[in-house]
Amino acid sequence: MIPDVRGYLRENRMPHILCPGCGHGIVLGALLRAVHALGIPQDRLAVVAGIGCSSRLAGYVDACTLHTTHGRALAFAAGLKLARPELVVIVLTGDGDGLSIGGNHLIHAARRNVDLTCILFNNAVYGMTGGQVAPTTQPGWVASTAPYGHPEPAFDGCALVQGAGGTFVARSMAYDPRGLQAILTEALEHRGFSYVEVLTDCPVYFGRYNRLGEGPELLWSQKARFGEVGQMLRDKRFVTPDGTAPAGRVEGLRFGILHRAERPEFTHVCWSQVRRGGDP
Amino acid sequence: MQTRNVLVVGVGGQGVLLASNVLAAACLARGYDVKKSEVKGMAQRGGAVVSFVRYGERVHSPLVERGRADLVLSLEWAEALRWAAYLRPGGVLAVDLVRILPPAAQLDHRTWQASYPAVEVERLRQAGWDVRPYEASRCAAELGDGRMANVVLLGAVSRELEFTVEEWEQALREVVPEQVVEANLRAFHAGRELPLASVSPGDVRRPAARTFRVEVTASWCKGRSCGICVRVCPEEVLAFGPDDRATAASPDRCTGCQLCQLLCPDFAVVVREEVAVG
Amino acid sequence: MARLRLVRGNTACAYGALSAGCRFYAGYPITPSSEVAEEMARLLPRVGGVFVQMEDEIASLAACIGASLGGLRSMTATSGPGFTLMQEHLGYAALAEIPCVVVDVMRLGPSTGFPTAPAQGDVLQARWGSHGDYPMVVLAPAGVQEVFELTAAAFEVADRLRTPVVVLYDEVVGHMMEPATLPDLSELVASGTWRRPSPPVQGTYLPYAYSEGTPPPLVSFGEGTRYHITGLIHDESGFPTQDPGKVGEMLRRLNEKVPEVPADQLHPEGVATEDAEVVVVAYGITARAARAAVRQARELGVRAGLFRPRVLWPSPATALRELSGRVGMFVVAEMNFGQWAREVERLVGRWAEVVTVNQVDGTPLSPRTILERVLEVSSPVPSTAAGRRIS
Ligand code: SF4
Ligand code: SF4
Ligand code: SF4
Repeated sequence: MIPDVRGYLRENRMPHILCPGCGHGIVLGALLRAVHALGIPQDRLAVVAGIGCSSRLAGYVDACTLHTTHGRALAFAAGLKLARPELVVIVLTGDGDGLSIGGNHLIHAARRNVDLTCILFNNAVYGMTGGQVAPTTQPGWVASTAPYGHPEPAFDGCALVQGAGGTFVARSMAYDPRGLQAILTEALEHRGFSYVEVLTDCPVYFGRYNRLGEGPELLWSQKARFGEVGQMLRDKRFVTPDGTAPAGRVEGLRFGILHRAERPEFTHVCWSQVRRGGDP
Repeated sequence: MQTRNVLVVGVGGQGVLLASNVLAAACLARGYDVKKSEVKGMAQRGGAVVSFVRYGERVHSPLVERGRADLVLSLEWAEALRWAAYLRPGGVLAVDLVRILPPAAQLDHRTWQASYPAVEVERLRQAGWDVRPYEASRCAAELGDGRMANVVLLGAVSRELEFTVEEWEQALREVVPEQVVEANLRAFHAGRELPLASVSPGDVRRPAARTFRVEVTASWCKGRSCGICVRVCPEEVLAFGPDDRATAASPDRCTGCQLCQLLCPDFAVVVREEVAVG
Repeated sequence: MARLRLVRGNTACAYGALSAGCRFYAGYPITPSSEVAEEMARLLPRVGGVFVQMEDEIASLAACIGASLGGLRSMTATSGPGFTLMQEHLGYAALAEIPCVVVDVMRLGPSTGFPTAPAQGDVLQARWGSHGDYPMVVLAPAGVQEVFELTAAAFEVADRLRTPVVVLYDEVVGHMMEPATLPDLSELVASGTWRRPSPPVQGTYLPYAYSEGTPPPLVSFGEGTRYHITGLIHDESGFPTQDPGKVGEMLRRLNEKVPEVPADQLHPEGVATEDAEVVVVAYGITARAARAAVRQARELGVRAGLFRPRVLWPSPATALRELSGRVGMFVVAEMNFGQWAREVERLVGRWAEVVTVNQVDGTPLSPRTILERVLEVSSPVPSTAAGRRIS
């Protein structure tokens, strides 16, 4: 049986503020099961988040939690990790938060190889501000600021982070909670910057604007297409409840652990300099 | 000597790899050449796991062909049936009679008892194999930790293999984590004393029905406008109550797959196994 | 042993920070503050601290706040454009009540301006640059020794009041060399990696439960106490609230927590103000010229005095108002178009006349310019030259 991980939540603050059917909570569940499986003590856990729907999840985890400013969570987290290398620092960020306003911090955290686990919730939309386009919105998809279809191409966050020097890069999805948990477990164990992009869904804006139905429809279509939920999915496509793919399905997104490398970890390098009293 | 071929099989979480590692360590302790390879199932738990161990003076390939195994050590009954065909005529099938139902194995979720193979030792014996059923899990549970069934079964078959007790003990000390070495040594020796399970001809056992309890924390549930658990449950266990909160309307249909728990974004659903009393 | 050395203001700033236990610096290079970063990069690893050059100023202050939560006293230094980028996080640190020190070495003009020229144009930005109402402490050292002292004091104030503190000085103070007594590196090395002590917590830690007008001491992350920090308006527990009663109360307490004189060494300086008929108000490098101007005015028979605030924000209202009971004329000398003069006018304008002398051309205000203005306003015939009356 999978364990009940509600002990990692601040139960007195539940239910959380996210909309009914929002996929983000599923991701948090997988994360907490990974933390539980690794036996990370709550007192050693810090969760740092930016601004947006997904970032609000930080406040529900019973750990040291820091809800920061829009896009900057990784910079706060880097400072915290440098000051307290013994902490396991998880960063929760959204696609707008992490790839748009915070894109600079993302590539530099990857380049430095700071030992952080960055989980980027990709729902291809700005949820908290009302459904505007995100840097992950695919061309043609509809959003409140792209009523005639988005005219721009989207970022591939994983390719970006890998190019910037991230040493653990993976992509998964909310509807594969077991596979996601397995990836998050490895990401947490990785020493260095790990980036896990998770496709989740915003039924309230993305689903509605693109006529994809609500939470269960999005989920149901996944299940119908890929059979058993729980097996590692190779691709994610948005599918209407009757099983036909709407315009704007995602091609070419790769899933699973996409890149791994060993490089000196930043915190370790910095404190080694300190231990040597500044001698090179 | 002729190279010996062994399969250790079971489902995820049973400790197949640990058992095969102990066997391989025993081979090394004796000075044999040994090759080992394994195939793990997809799922973390519940998927099939098999480990091939080949040992002798000089071993080249790690793979065992069908019909060539001297010994199949199976930690689970249905897995024993699946892998028995790897045995040579007269090969030994040592099997723990525990029955684990991986959700994936249940073709018909509601009547899953029928989809699980019955324990029919006699039929296997008629196929020409030396079948040794043991109650290893029960023995391990009596020792205080059911997870050591793998080592109990290893103890039971150790009597048939050429290694000395000292070699086995050395192997165990090398492989198992330090803090559980003593417990595992006890399990191993209990296995060496373990009698064959008495399964009379025609004794067809079926696994005991497992029952599950689906708990919904109503105040956390966001109701119909979410609806994920209700729509995702393969058995249609869940429905909305008059308060617009999900509830287990037909709890006895629950197979414990926990999809509802995995996919509820609001942590409102928890599925627990009911432990049968008495 | 501390000893007298000939150093730059920016070097003294680094020493002040280190002597106060600062063990984390995150910054981004910018003229005329870069020497602070260079000194910190050189010295921090030797005294058990961490230096990191971040990708921009936004990240720099963010990293400082993160490290401060981890228990390290943290600092960054910048100049105008970078200071502008830091404003969001100054507001964050003020609201979340996380101590940190930001040094702004002022350059001239808006935008890129004139990077190597002195000015005092960030005085209002230092107070009001972030959005919303929040408390701010801004210190204004006037020389190299004082840069050392006030930077050190900034950390004490920041920790005690749990608030960001800005150390504000101009390019001349940052770059000029003068003798100052600084500690030896060996003393700093001996103190090692200093961490802000976290008080023991009984029961639930309420990070914003004030007592007697100040927040409780900050417990560092990783000390076994789990709690939440957010930039949203929060209640005593640190979690967001929208209850108007709590929101109003929280913001009122936040905005009232900084006393006019946040530490003993931060009283304003008065020179010859007892019998003064005209008082020159000046801070930072301008105060030096003002001091000379006052002396020369006295030699010419004008009863002039000098009022020099060490803390620009909160403004020294009590001291200025007290002075305005005796003094009828204030001359505010600044290298801007009258930023702090507005505050002086607000505080004493009902009882005294406030005039300004301003110079914003890339050169420091000279004693002569200030003297002329003093003579002008103290002469019986008012002139219409250089300055203007504040309205
Ligand atoms: S707006 Fe969208 S992303 Fe945000 S909580 Fe609601 S469903 Fe989730
Ligand atoms: S998935 Fe959770 S929140 Fe949604 S209806 Fe079911 S119990 Fe309620
Ligand atoms: S565990 Fe949940 S999803 Fe699975 S059968 Fe039971 S109620 Fe349905």
